[in-house]
Amino acid sequence: MFDVIVRNGFVVDGSGEAGFKGDVAVLDGKIAAVGAVNGAAKREIDAQGRVVAPGFIDPHTHFDVQLLWDGAARPALEHGVTCIVPGNCSLSLAPLRASDRSKVVGMFQQIEEMPPEAFTQAFEWSWEDFAGYRDAIAKQLSINVAPLVGHSVIRLWVMGEAAQQRTATPEEVAAMQEVLRECLRAGAIGMSTSFVDLDEHGRPVPSRFADFAELDALTAVLGEFGRMLQCVPEFYDVDITIARIDQLSELSLKHRVPTTFSPVFDNTSTPDNAPRILARVEEQFARGARVWPQMQTRPIDISFSLLRPSLFFARLPRWVRVLRQPLEQRLAALRDPETVAKMVEDLGPDGGRRMMGGLIVRGGDAAPAEWVGRTLGDLAAERGEPPALALINLSLEHGLDVAFLAADMGHEVTDRVGPMLAHPLVHIGASDGGAHIASFSTYGDTGYLFSEFVRKGAHLSLEQAVRKITADTADIWGLKDRGRLRPGLAADIVIFDPETIDRAEERPVFDMPGEGMRYVRDARGVQAVLVNGELAYADGAYTDARSGVVCV
Amino acid sequence: MSGEAVIVGAEIAAGHDGSAELVLRLRYPNGGEGVIVLEAEKGLELMAVCGAAHLEELAGQSWRRLLEGTCST
Repeated sequence: MFDVIVRNGFVVDGSGEAGFKGDVAVLDGKIAAVGAVNGAAKREIDAQGRVVAPGFIDPHTHFDVQLLWDGAARPALEHGVTCIVPGNCSLSLAPLRASDRSKVVGMFQQIEEMPPEAFTQAFEWSWEDFAGYRDAIAKQLSINVAPLVGHSVIRLWVMGEAAQQRTATPEEVAAMQEVLRECLRAGAIGMSTSFVDLDEHGRPVPSRFADFAELDALTAVLGEFGRMLQCVPEFYDVDITIARIDQLSELSLKHRVPTTFSPVFDNTSTPDNAPRILARVEEQFARGARVWPQMQTRPIDISFSLLRPSLFFARLPRWVRVLRQPLEQRLAALRDPETVAKMVEDLGPDGGRRMMGGLIVRGGDAAPAEWVGRTLGDLAAERGEPPALALINLSLEHGLDVAFLAADMGHEVTDRVGPMLAHPLVHIGASDGGAHIASFSTYGDTGYLFSEFVRKGAHLSLEQAVRKITADTADIWGLKDRGRLRPGLAADIVIFDPETIDRAEERPVFDMPGEGMRYVRDARGVQAVLVNGELAYADGAYTDARSGVVCV
Repeated sequence: MSGEAVIVGAEIAAGHDGSAELVLRLRYPNGGEGVIVLEAEKGLELMAVCGAAHLEELAGQSWRRLLEGTCST
């Protein structure tokens, strides 16, 4: 008797091979059989007309804090994601002395945009070492977690305040090596570092004070365990990024470790950047290095409000002058009819319809809920105002706290991005799940992969797309018992409709501690998700299953 | 040719974090070109320092203008 049999589905097993009609049986949390399965099960799931695939793996997230009160990392799981990698960008919640918590909270808030209550009310902070954090999240997991340990917190543990002031002494480096070993023994899947991130005071995070000798010494420890080095290079400069690719490659070759870096994205204003990065990656892989570029699937939007000046207005010098003033003067200028008339005039005879009419009101701020998702052009027409004037008046009526979104402003050309995602050396990831939560939604990139690059663009076959976010990811990260539907491996399974799987529209929700706001996207087309053989999500609802594990 | 790098192009692009960024193309004395990206406040500051009302007016400015104002801090 099996625990579960998923019957009559189209099995896409993660290998990249052609899918086939068949069944998948589960026993004791593992895949027990794949194909035509005879016998009975305690639960049968009809997957007629659906794809049955390994659970998706998201290799770049910041769910470190959320996991302490939400073991499903919602809404990641409902999108078919059964394993997440938190602890990226040099930041994890362990090892961390109690006296250093406030420093790391500031760094997390800078990246995640979590409200302060998330750190003070939502969980009991009971650990200092990595094993303690592992145990704290392990109690209630519905999703699997393969955590990284952050270079910045290792530095802070060993060096205290000096971690953000100077390079380390040889003795301190040796101490960091020992701390890293302890974390890897306790279940860390690798170490993350960053050459970019800032704390809440605008100071570089501790990892940025490390010299190469320190990174080399820590990577040597990763080599003892064969574990991953994750890195955020100076992605705003392609030449420095390429230099970092070379550096990571040397570390990969010397210490025989995989490395990965992100973000890599395509912009039509810098069309050569991503191809140059991929060309260097190809050269380094040809030398034997493993230096995986992570590329997100979703396009990048620009969002702004009149609370802060945005380069969105860079072609409107009068707007820039007005919006760069201190708040009181800015408000006065925006209330001055003569100034506003000139601002509107600057948009030309259409009153801003071409430039601003397509802006979308985001919500989650002071904007009335009924405006959310509507275009400025529509609202302006309703008000009988030109769009530029409507933007000013709508903002003024709500203390300027109305956010607008210009959609698909980067990484948005499907026929450019699709072939890159299909490239065998491109690691699909970089979702940033659980980060930037008050700025945009970081969920549903997997659904978007299928809707945009399988169904619409046909840049990847269904089987290739599944492989990219399952078996390939598991292989890159050394997750030996996940990523494929194969007997003996963990029964992480997603059942979805290949014709409808997608991400829904972005919407604001107030489900963070202290009623904090974040943007999310619901899943579309996902029928069920099993985690280690238990049904964790089905037909639009989460179950009570707590079958997720900290996996290695 | 001038002995130092000059700005030869400027565009607005979407940044990784959802903000608008200023992408500058610099041409070096040897003829080579490179791109740097400025975040919103620094981009707006550069325009102010250069007295540029439009992005196009940044063309021809020395790269050293990037160091002026609070850009250098």
